[in-house]
Amino acid sequence: MIKVLFFGPIAAATGVRDVSVMHVPGVTLGGLKEMLAAQYPEAMHLATMMAVNGEHVRDLSLPLADNSEVAFMAKFSGG
Amino acid sequence: MKEAVRIQQEDFSQDEEIRALQASSKRMGGIATFLGCARDFSEGREVSEISFDAYGSMALSELDRLRSDAIEKFGLLDARIVHRIGTVKGGDNIVFIAAGAEHRVAALEACRWMIDELKQRVPIWKKEITPQGDSWVTPHP
Repeated sequence: MIKVLFFGPIAAATGVRDVSVMHVPGVTLGGLKEMLAAQYPEAMHLATMMAVNGEHVRDLSLPLADNSEVAFMAKFSGG
Repeated sequence: MKEAVRIQQEDFSQDEEIRALQASSKRMGGIATFLGCARDFSEGREVSEISFDAYGSMALSELDRLRSDAIEKFGLLDARIVHRIGTVKGGDNIVFIAAGAEHRVAALEACRWMIDELKQRVPIWKKEITPQGDSWVTPHP
């Protein structure tokens, strides 16, 4: 499984803070994003930042391992 | 002594943080600080409270990395960063950054750099709660 986390404005748009997605061999970060966009179009429209296992990632072609933790995040507004 | 980098619900003491920074080295000749606090007015609206959400584990590791990067980049003797989450009211403290160096220029530049980088790198989100409703904040440049 892949654990997907949502925070702040994205969690507000999805109505949930996390979802689990079945891992499919060869799945990429971009593929996961497209799949979630079909389910949560408004939320994923806000997702300009991404993290895999707590590290910033920009490359949508990144393959995702099973048991990855992926966060799709809106632009930060701390401070 | 408290950790140099923290994310916490409760308020912090600037005096305690500065004392902890000073205690780290007697070579410190300059300390610069930044205190971010909650405004009760934003974009023409009264703001009654500000609520923060964070990707806690990543935010803490990014803040740790930010502190290490600043120490290396500006040759600091030490630095501290504290960010609050949860809900705060107008006038409350939000974030405190302190940079200590042998001389003032490095401390001042590092302090400015850390708050700017924090806004870009650290997964924390702010929601303004107003009498007209709640809205997530769109970052300012």
